[in-house]
Amino acid sequence: MRFVGLVLKSARRNKRRTALTVLSVAIAVFLFASLRAVLDGFNGAAEASSSTRIVTIRSTSLIFSMPTSHAEGIKSVPGIRDITWASWFGGIYKDPSNFFAQIAVEPESYLRMYPEIVLPPDERRAFLEDRTGAIVGSGLAKKYGWKTGDRVVLRVGIPLYGKQDFTFTIRGVYTSSTNAVDNQTMFFNWKYLDERSIVKSQAGWFVSEIANPDQATQVALAIDQKFANTPNETKTDTERQFQSSFASMFGNLNLLLGSIALAVVITTLFVAGNTMAMSVRERTTEIAVMRTLGFPPSTIFGLIAGEGVVMSIAGGVLGVVLARVLVTGDNLGAGGFIPAFGVSNTNVAVGLALSAFIGVVAGLIPATMASRLKIVDALRRVA
Amino acid sequence: MALIELRDVTKTYRRDAIEIPVLERVSISVGEGDFLGLMGPSGSGKSTLLNLLAGIDRPSRGSIRIGDTEISSLSERALASWRARHIGFIFQLYNLIPVLTAFENVELPLLLTHLSKKQRRDHVMTALNIVGLGDREKHYPRQLSGGQEQRVAIARAIVTDPTLLLADEPTGDLDAKSGGEVLTLLQRLNQEFKKTIVMVTHDPHAAERATHTLHLEKGTLVEQDGARA
Repeated sequence: MRFVGLVLKSARRNKRRTALTVLSVAIAVFLFASLRAVLDGFNGAAEASSSTRIVTIRSTSLIFSMPTSHAEGIKSVPGIRDITWASWFGGIYKDPSNFFAQIAVEPESYLRMYPEIVLPPDERRAFLEDRTGAIVGSGLAKKYGWKTGDRVVLRVGIPLYGKQDFTFTIRGVYTSSTNAVDNQTMFFNWKYLDERSIVKSQAGWFVSEIANPDQATQVALAIDQKFANTPNETKTDTERQFQSSFASMFGNLNLLLGSIALAVVITTLFVAGNTMAMSVRERTTEIAVMRTLGFPPSTIFGLIAGEGVVMSIAGGVLGVVLARVLVTGDNLGAGGFIPAFGVSNTNVAVGLALSAFIGVVAGLIPATMASRLKIVDALRRVA
Repeated sequence: MALIELRDVTKTYRRDAIEIPVLERVSISVGEGDFLGLMGPSGSGKSTLLNLLAGIDRPSRGSIRIGDTEISSLSERALASWRARHIGFIFQLYNLIPVLTAFENVELPLLLTHLSKKQRRDHVMTALNIVGLGDREKHYPRQLSGGQEQRVAIARAIVTDPTLLLADEPTGDLDAKSGGEVLTLLQRLNQEFKKTIVMVTHDPHAAERATHTLHLEKGTLVEQDGARA
């Protein structure tokens, strides 16, 4: 403890350089925590998915639709208890940068099959009764200042749905009871979409409720076999796999985000290491003087390495605090792709551990250099 | 009784494949309470001899005994611990740590001891008062004159109450007045506090303050005045 003051004084020796080093570590930790938050968000949604729901899409791609008549065929497969469907709308609210998910749903069955969407009874009733009604997540409502009764106009984003703007009346603001459903989405009546669509009676995906989760694979296979060799072949997965495939539309996110985080951390390691080495070179005489006074090599090593760790942890703390404050669902604008988004406590701990790791590794070579310094040579260099 | 005993100490440096002799078979003996002035021209080996006495360099051959310890055979760690307990070193360029106050600079060697914070404070203030800078404890080196810096360096050297004080050209970077004050202080430490001092200098006036002098030339002792060879 008696050396702490010495370490802190040394770290403050060149304030600008220390500040820049702390900042570089802070940015690295901030990016690391943010990228992990994105991955956690996707994984969290997949993990919170229902084990009794399976999702059917076109075998070619999620972006192609299927006739709603498939619903009858799916429902006839043994093991299916209930079914609903939905379509991606992709409308534009005022400006394309105001991105959020808008999903046309068959309201009654959808709300029945997604009890996670929590709505007051009167708002639920109002939504079911209004063909142009919509419900929005609490996060989305907060972001745009919407409340029940407001009218929201969306421009058409996908030409299949015509050219005319869609006007919706907000009939309810839902909250979400699990991570499987986010609070950043707008749901509206599929019939409203269908009547404007160029190709009628189309659904983007079907969601079926199965009686026995253990039979999900067999039921999914039976559905796909039913539509095999038809113009609209299907691909059925569990909701968890569906969530994961949604994320994989962006490529191998784990690898991509992991690589970015690794590159940032390694770059920061070099920056911090170089700074520490410069600092030690500038203090060669001082270190030699301390060795002359009787400071053993191990203590010198500890002082230099400690300085690196102190600077790095200061950067780490700054990074995780920034991440905690700035990386939130409201600030992300993921438009419903990442239901539960934020920097978790685990991420905070990992970020701090990472900053300590950067400090230790970056200080290793300079601290070794300093501890192995030949006193006489170092003193002669200046004298 | 001799505090320092050097027997046939030889030191050579190797530059590429060439061996450069710096000290050759030097034998000296310094008694406890002596104030020895080591004189000689540049390159005569006097600073090397001082470094060997301080245990920050090792002889190529020969033995160095200080008190009861044969320091040439100590490990690096043991030597560091021995230096902390027995040596006070005064550099020509003071070598204070610029980010530490006068108090903190003097306290530095005490951080290696088991003294409490209060005990450390008492020791530091005693040392600063001896060198006449008790009122400058909060000053940084840049706020002090050269003479004051050297006096803080002397306080740092005596704060652990070491067996031996080694001074390498302590007045070499000072004006005559400040240099005189530093020499008076060293004399006082020798006479009043009975400190054994070895001082390297090539200033004959500085050497006059010592009780004995030795002259080195090309790595060998050529003349002595009062010291036991």
